[in-house]
Amino acid sequence: MTKEIGINQLKRRDFLKAGLVFGAGAAGLAAGYAAVPDAFARAVYAAKKEGVANDNILVMIQLAGGNDGLRTVVPIADPTLHDLRPKLAGSMVSQALPLNNQWGLNHNLGAIKGLWDKGKVAIVQGVGYPNPTFSHFESIRIWETGDPTRRQVNGWLGRTLATAYDSNGHPLTGCACGTTNVPGALRDLQATMTVIQDQKKFGFSGGSEVEAAVGALYKGTPGIYGALFDTAMATATTTISTLRTSAASYQPMADYTDKVKLVYSSKNQLAAALQLAAELIVTGTGVKLLHVTLGGFDTHYTELNRHDDLMGYLDTAVGAFYQDLAAHGMADKVLIATWSEFGRRPKENASGGTDHGAAAPLLLIGNPVKGGLYGDAPSLTSLDKTGNLPYSVDFRSVYQEILAGHLGAGSNQILGATFDRIPFLAAPVAVA
Amino acid sequence: MRRSEGLNWGMSVATGREKVASVDQPPRRGLTRRQALAAALAAGVGVGAVRLLGGSMQGIGRPGAGSTTDWISPLASESARVMQVLRRTSFGYTAAQLESALSDGFSKTVDRLIETKPVEPPVLAAAGTPGGRFAVGQLQQWWLDHMLSTATPFAERMTLFWHGHFTSDYRKVGDENFMYWQNLTWRGMSMTDLRSMLMQVTSDPAMLKYLDLAQSTGQSPNENYSRELMELFTMGAGNFTETDVRQSAKALAGWQLPQPDSYATVIVDKATNATRKLPVYSAQKSGVLNSKRAFNGSVTFLGKTGPLDTQGVIDRILAQPSTAVYMATKVARHFVTAQPDAAYVKSLADIFRKSKYDMKTLMHAVFTSPQFNAAQSYRTLVKTPTEFMLHAAQALGATNLSKLVAGAGAGMGQSLFDPPDVNGWPTNESWISSNTVVERVNFVTAAMNQVKKAVPSATNAPRTHLDGVLSPQTAKLLNQAADDRARWFITLASPEFQLK
Repeated sequence: MTKEIGINQLKRRDFLKAGLVFGAGAAGLAAGYAAVPDAFARAVYAAKKEGVANDNILVMIQLAGGNDGLRTVVPIADPTLHDLRPKLAGSMVSQALPLNNQWGLNHNLGAIKGLWDKGKVAIVQGVGYPNPTFSHFESIRIWETGDPTRRQVNGWLGRTLATAYDSNGHPLTGCACGTTNVPGALRDLQATMTVIQDQKKFGFSGGSEVEAAVGALYKGTPGIYGALFDTAMATATTTISTLRTSAASYQPMADYTDKVKLVYSSKNQLAAALQLAAELIVTGTGVKLLHVTLGGFDTHYTELNRHDDLMGYLDTAVGAFYQDLAAHGMADKVLIATWSEFGRRPKENASGGTDHGAAAPLLLIGNPVKGGLYGDAPSLTSLDKTGNLPYSVDFRSVYQEILAGHLGAGSNQILGATFDRIPFLAAPVAVA
Repeated sequence: MRRSEGLNWGMSVATGREKVASVDQPPRRGLTRRQALAAALAAGVGVGAVRLLGGSMQGIGRPGAGSTTDWISPLASESARVMQVLRRTSFGYTAAQLESALSDGFSKTVDRLIETKPVEPPVLAAAGTPGGRFAVGQLQQWWLDHMLSTATPFAERMTLFWHGHFTSDYRKVGDENFMYWQNLTWRGMSMTDLRSMLMQVTSDPAMLKYLDLAQSTGQSPNENYSRELMELFTMGAGNFTETDVRQSAKALAGWQLPQPDSYATVIVDKATNATRKLPVYSAQKSGVLNSKRAFNGSVTFLGKTGPLDTQGVIDRILAQPSTAVYMATKVARHFVTAQPDAAYVKSLADIFRKSKYDMKTLMHAVFTSPQFNAAQSYRTLVKTPTEFMLHAAQALGATNLSKLVAGAGAGMGQSLFDPPDVNGWPTNESWISSNTVVERVNFVTAAMNQVKKAVPSATNAPRTHLDGVLSPQTAKLLNQAADDRARWFITLASPEFQLK
């Protein structure tokens, strides 16, 4: 067992414990999805007991835009692929890194293939949900809320924070790194979480006087956004002081190359975001749920190089992140999981790209994983009536295993139902 | 004015148990501008800051106890209505601009906003650079400078709205000339009708690249533009089928980028002296339809079958009731309230459709609707980062901050010409996070540092920029502030100033 640096051993500060609320809500409001209760930012928080007692950490990596599953986990022995993708299939098959005689990883996923060889990568194939939507934003919302019926407003990780963690307001339990806005998956009326785009810039340029002034200014703010403003500011000031300490004690033990360069068509510096995640994890800030994003996967045209570049960027960033965690003795605690709103159409279009698809594989990476292929492999010869791959694994089965088996959280309460198990964890702490 | 109260902003805050009613300001005719302003400001003092919900006092004075109070609306007063409509339709105002609008009154101000022909921005110096290879920062600063100096800020506000609605980003477009043209086109069409707008959007060169329509052929259509045209630009999700997406992708196919007038050989890598031939355009151009690449045949789209061209696709979309509802919802969320109710949306949608989708008619209906000035709509919108930064710059009289603004937007989630995704700019609560509040405060600090000479007097700032409606904390800190710089900082960094 590696040394324990986790939330249980931290002396948690009494962070605004008197009924603080995070009035996020309305993830879908901007996108035009759902009405939000009028008093969404005013809900009064009732103290709860903590529901989670283990030190495990989850890092979700969003591959935004719809990642091409067939170019990520390649059906190398299926001749149909060449019929469907005359332009795209050749190099992706010939260069793939074979997992067995049927499947290979994208040739730019070398570091992840190295982890696969050590049994630290689980691939769940054919993940999706019934009656798939081909809208980015509808499908993102479904994945974020864990609700294909589109009634749920809060994110699945936000609900996890609110129901299973210290919703008294420990601000770093949930953290989105490398972005400016709250990701939908982490939103919840009663969850407190932090957003940090760039750690170096996260602080008040006017120094402690400004910090004190705005800390006083954002208190008891009236109106529907009042609690949201106050919580955002209180979270920021607390986190800034935490980061001051952690930055001083953190030494990266891996080379996060490309951490300042954007890979084409993405807007997110994934490597920098994962390095910040590593810092938060290894310095014992108490972080439990992390979310990072790599965009640019909406490859409607000239997919060949763009997707390969994105795969390569994902691979180097994840490889460095794992190495850093392992060197700090934290790799046993951390599960890395990818998600994307959908895969892409098996048949390529005339632009050398692919249009929006349906089911696709997810990658689960890290020491907690029991390596291997899970789920039913999709068949290129039995596409649905839209020409897409039908799903065999409900994405909530994956969420359920993460929640129950890795985090020890009440998956039934969070997801509202029980799903078929996909046993991709080596030693699940609980079974849903 | 109640001069005796001096700087004691605490006087404008509700501190007692009783609900403080706002003071209606009767319309004043025949006043000088200065008198009108003074009267308006005096009215602000009588306006309580917070309204209690459910008669409970528990939220007040106990920071951290959760917000159980609401802002008390000052909108019964004409001056507050004028200030609100300016906040929501422009990029801030100087004392002189406010004085002028207050003297005009609400109705005349609305008419002026809507009816004044947009002032064209100056020609961008870098425009015409072969291949559009110039820094996006130049484009951002050019637009921000115009937002700060224009006599018709509503045109810029609407151009920003359309930039978020019919969005494109410079990264994928890869040609800043095309992004510049798109901005000019969006401004020119910003207050026209949706039918002609949609044709200009479809053939816009930046859009042809951004949503891949330039790649789409009748033989092998690319669905990207077809889907977003319906889902994000007009009808909204759930009002069309996947078959409609595929069929209209066929009908829309065949558009190509305009032919360049010439090509220039340009060194693209100074280290290796590598060159590329880049397109040169002598003037702004639209995309062109190449009939050889188009689809010849019949499609079944939105319930009707037959041959269909781009105009036919647009007209069929405009024949769907969902289009007016979707657009009215979006406009209401951006200009009126975060959660417009269905009846209000329907009333706007009916007006919009009946007017043949005329934007002037829609926006006039929006601003003159009772909902716009309703107490329930007060401070229910969050300023976008661009609005927040430019409002602050105007308030400080600092119109030379476009470079700072261009660079600071990214940390708040809004870098012009670089929207987060094809859904464009988010709204309201999406702008608030631990990262963005820090960045907003840092912008105020940076902006004030760039105002080298004395800042304007801040004595009236809480009234002219915050309606005199302050939270107890804001009032307290203003009361404690030592000088004008401190008062400006508190005013501009306050939660109140983030709202509109």
